[in-house]
Amino acid sequence: MILAALLLATQVAAQDPRLERLDPDTRSIVAAIVDSAHGIGLPVEPLIQRALEGATKGAPSARIVAAVRRLTVDLGTARTALGTSAVQAELEAAVAALRAGATPDVLVHLRDVRRPPLTMALSVLADLVASGVPADSAAAAVLALAPKARDADLVEFRRAVERDIALGAPPAAATSVRVNAGANAISTQSSDPGNPATPRPRRP
Amino acid sequence: MFEQDDETTVERVIQHLRRPVAIDAGLDARVMQAIATAPPQRRRVRPLWPLLAAAAVLAAVLIARPWNRNATKADTLQFVLIAPQAASVALVGDFNDWDPARAPMQTAHGVWATVVRLAPGRYRYAFLVNGVEWRADPSAPAAKDDEFGTPSSVVTVGGRGS
Repeated sequence: MILAALLLATQVAAQDPRLERLDPDTRSIVAAIVDSAHGIGLPVEPLIQRALEGATKGAPSARIVAAVRRLTVDLGTARTALGTSAVQAELEAAVAALRAGATPDVLVHLRDVRRPPLTMALSVLADLVASGVPADSAAAAVLALAPKARDADLVEFRRAVERDIALGAPPAAATSVRVNAGANAISTQSSDPGNPATPRPRRP
Repeated sequence: MFEQDDETTVERVIQHLRRPVAIDAGLDARVMQAIATAPPQRRRVRPLWPLLAAAAVLAAVLIARPWNRNATKADTLQFVLIAPQAASVALVGDFNDWDPARAPMQTAHGVWATVVRLAPGRYRYAFLVNGVEWRADPSAPAAKDDEFGTPSSVVTVGGRGS
């Protein structure tokens, strides 16, 4: 009895104090999921943040638990695809790409053609789909640019596609056109002396 | 005649040189005395700066850990929301535990702004207007997987040439 109480106390003490913002029932379930994820080597910070997002937004307990549980599963899928060397940021971006419709095979292919970190490439893929680009077109575009493009090139590519879509271009066509333009720009950009050297706060 | 004089002179020089040299008996004592009383030679200290420089370089490499994929550089981002009617706007997201109290935004004529420094990663965030209204960032990609029924946006900080 005393041992059980001590174990319980130890477990509670080991819980992340930020989870105190959850109601007790939700907190205990989320803490158990977090412990399980930690036990299999998954990053737990995304799980905690998802729970805190739900708490701040006033979501019901069941929805918070479902969101955290689903994220755990997706992080596991992402890690299987990217390998155990993938860092938290890459896994989070991979989850976004998977949820956008990219297959695990796309993640594996991306890992093979681009040196890490893969965070920006995966995020751009997810963001393109969120902009209306079909998942297969977005995946093909990112895979085409990934071997040589810098992160900044990929961001600019995404913005260009979004601009074209906003101007009325069909998303798939806009993506295709910009892939070709992006490939040309990447090959000439390295000699561009106009890149600003002084970092300024950029916009998302 | 001249040859005779020369030979004589050379002979005298040879004899002079062959004469044993008489050394003062106190010479050795005086030399040793001079050595004993000479000021001590300053010991030459090897400069430490090469060692210090090497240690500094090693420390910098250990701290930066360029082989560590987590140790990529952070980025400074400016978040802006135009909300002329708002009394308060907070930026909340994965980078501040979704805590509105931690990121109140400043306003100038209805333009609310704040600057946040973020490590590489993909972050979900939203603006909380007047403490009750959730708004996505119109200038950023939308979070497609919004599981809590309110709009959110995403920002990605890369680690390579971003």
